[in-house]
Amino acid sequence: MNPLIWIIPVLPLLSFVLLLLFGRRLKEASAHVGALLTLGSLVLSIVVLLNQWGGEPVKETLSWLTFGETTLSAGYLVNPLNALMLVIVSLVSFLVQVYSGGYMHDDDRFPIFFAYLGLFTFAMLGLVLSPNLLQLYVFWELVGVGSFLLIGYYFYKREARSAAKKAFIMTRIGDVGLFIGMILLFWQVGSFEFDEIFAAVEAGEISEGWITLTAILIFVGAIGKSGQFPLHTWLPDAMEGPTPVSALIHAATMVAAGVYLVAAMFPLFQASEAALTTVAVVGGFTAIFAATIGLAQADIKRVLAYSTVSQLGYMMLALGSSGYVAGVFHLTTHAFFKALLFLAAGSVIHAVHTQNIHEMGGLWKKMKWTAPLFLIGAMAISGVPGLSGFFSKDEILAATYADGRFGLFWIAVIAAFLTAFYMFRLFFLVFTGESRGIQEKVKESPVSMTFPMIVLGILALIGGLINTPFATYLSDFLAQNEALEIHHHETRWWIPVVATGVSLLGILMAWLVYVKKKVTRFSESAPDLHYILLNKYFIDETYDYSFVKGTRALSYFWYYIDRFVVEGLVGLVTGIVGWFSKIGSRFQNGQVQLYSSVAFAGMAILLLVVAWIGGYLT
Amino acid sequence: MSSVPLSVYLVLALILFCIGLFGALTKRNAVIVLISIELMLNAVNINLVAFAKYGINPGITGQIFSLFTITVAAAEAAVGLAILIALYRNRKTVNVDEMDIMKH
Amino acid sequence: MNGELIVFFILALVAIGSGILMLNLTKVVHMVIALVFTFLSIAGLYVMLSAEFLAFVQILIYSGAITIIMLFGIMLTRHSDRTESKIGVPRTVLVLGGIVAFFLVMFFQINDLSFGEQATVLHVDNTEKIGVELYSKFVIPFELTSVLLLVALVGAIVLAKRDDEEEAKDNE
Repeated sequence: MNPLIWIIPVLPLLSFVLLLLFGRRLKEASAHVGALLTLGSLVLSIVVLLNQWGGEPVKETLSWLTFGETTLSAGYLVNPLNALMLVIVSLVSFLVQVYSGGYMHDDDRFPIFFAYLGLFTFAMLGLVLSPNLLQLYVFWELVGVGSFLLIGYYFYKREARSAAKKAFIMTRIGDVGLFIGMILLFWQVGSFEFDEIFAAVEAGEISEGWITLTAILIFVGAIGKSGQFPLHTWLPDAMEGPTPVSALIHAATMVAAGVYLVAAMFPLFQASEAALTTVAVVGGFTAIFAATIGLAQADIKRVLAYSTVSQLGYMMLALGSSGYVAGVFHLTTHAFFKALLFLAAGSVIHAVHTQNIHEMGGLWKKMKWTAPLFLIGAMAISGVPGLSGFFSKDEILAATYADGRFGLFWIAVIAAFLTAFYMFRLFFLVFTGESRGIQEKVKESPVSMTFPMIVLGILALIGGLINTPFATYLSDFLAQNEALEIHHHETRWWIPVVATGVSLLGILMAWLVYVKKKVTRFSESAPDLHYILLNKYFIDETYDYSFVKGTRALSYFWYYIDRFVVEGLVGLVTGIVGWFSKIGSRFQNGQVQLYSSVAFAGMAILLLVVAWIGGYLT
Repeated sequence: MSSVPLSVYLVLALILFCIGLFGALTKRNAVIVLISIELMLNAVNINLVAFAKYGINPGITGQIFSLFTITVAAAEAAVGLAILIALYRNRKTVNVDEMDIMKH
Repeated sequence: MNGELIVFFILALVAIGSGILMLNLTKVVHMVIALVFTFLSIAGLYVMLSAEFLAFVQILIYSGAITIIMLFGIMLTRHSDRTESKIGVPRTVLVLGGIVAFFLVMFFQINDLSFGEQATVLHVDNTEKIGVELYSKFVIPFELTSVLLLVALVGAIVLAKRDDEEEAKDNE
């Protein structure tokens, strides 16, 4: 079919190179270059997706390295999941670049920003197209580099610098897991290719224990990238980057890469019950854990960040409960509404120049476009019936229930309630009531910023229709992949009702607390709990005191060992040599008499020795 | 016949040689160093002449040899002094320990 | 103890004594004078060793020419007249040690060296013999020596002569 699939990731790379080379001359036009090239990728991705609809998976590889009987290959693979990811990534990237054209317009390093966006998009598209684990890993790290550059874009801010480092290091911890898992799989199967690995798993060539081990190790990589507990702490800190970056990285692409990885390796996970349970438990715990933290945060982007962590937990929960379709479906809808929320938040920040929600308020009348769009996003994520989040969240709950994980099911329900509550807390605090900060000239953002939000808003509204209980387009589409066994579980009628009930309850609670002020605020009724939540369960502090301080203490220990013991020994040796040479160099003073004295003394010693040995000294 | 054996001449020559050597290696004045070298050459000459008389193959050759040595020593003394004077003109000193530009 | 031995010891004592005196005197001119005595006593020893011509040459060249050259050298180079030995103790020890070791080794080899009595009559027509040998057997080295002396002569003049430029500079 389409021989130009490889063009899709190359276009953003071209944008990166062009902007790096000619960015200074292009100045504001860089946005057009970046956006247009990404638009090209988007169009091609849509073509690929449409072709994939009912078509066969496409895989083309070139041999890259051959050693022994093993050949490493590089190429591209398009199957329904990849095609869907291509569209999501290129769409969100395109919209974010359009949006950034307005948001970043007075930044000094404007072209560089778009160059980084191009690099990141290239890496993400390449990751999605990878036909084997090795190539995936290469792009996986490239995504890490792109996110490092983007999060640290305001590198002159100390927080941004440390956030970038933190993101890089925390995800790197996960990457090590992925790498080990990958190598172990290669050892067991003898190939990095996805299809060969799945065939080996299918044929039972790998023992149960190995499958579980490798699956969990690969999941560790996903934990790092997708910000799951306990490696989630980088994600909220990464909000130090520019807001469009947050929308791109933390809504649709990089964090989704972890979920994508689990989805792409799903046949491996399916073969091990223990691995699935691990995924489900970690996902469920992360979902409720992050949701509770989200209740207390005051920074608009941090609330959204914890919301992202929580929603990613949902996806993991779905995948762990064998709800492949539910996970991918939620990944899709979440990409839309979370990108929308981030962009709307960016629009708000752009207008009021603060991120503290307690300093906002009353923006509904001032921002005619942003406010309704934010409301759509909030309703979608809360699961208000009819919107995209409603359907995907129902899928997840149904999958969890059908898989027999009742404890996790109820956790997910509670998390849904909390999600609705904190999203509407955010909404009410920002957009309703009286203005609490200095907001003299709040203006609506320019068209370049509202347009992407409108597109995403529409998708958030209707995106759920691709997989309703009545029309399972997505499910059928994904089921084309033969490697998967997709469970069709009948939807129980009461699950949507419960889900709707809890989300409406959450919204009502938020309304009562923050608008009507009938119920006392959380921070007043339970100050201790609020304090804990505000400080994110002290996870960062725990890490700081255990790993960071521990490592530092160990480093200092070895530093002093090195400084005094090792270096002392080395210094002793060099000192002795230096001492000898200093003495030697004193003989080298240019005086012929001294030279001849030494030469003569040497000759005398030689004579003496020869005479002594020869027995002449009698 | 002769009551002075060869070894006594040799020991005398050795003592003179050692005195000359000590002077050549320790004196700072370049003129004295040159004189000491002459003394060492003289000690060698004594040896040559002594061997010419009491050696394994006695003959006139030893004496002729010392004649050549004396000639060469004279030439050496002349050239040495010329060098010394040239040096003195450039560096205003005849002290050997101040002539140390060789180390650079 | 016969007369020959007595003469030898006197000459040897003068030679060694003057040598040691040379080492210990402080004035350069005195040192040269001390050395003249050494050279003279060595000439005496040459006579005892049946080398009359050589003794004559020794007095002419060493006691005469070389000493005069040295005195010229001393006069032409203006120095403090006194030579103070300022080398360090370690170096003196080094040199002394080396010399003593050398002396001991050599002494043990030669103190009882003897090749027996040889019937030689070197003192008869000594000068004539030397002349004959020089102009027959050693004629090539002899000519080479003359070349060497010529080269030394030219070389010494060139080295000791002032540069023209330098001279011009000084005259200005």
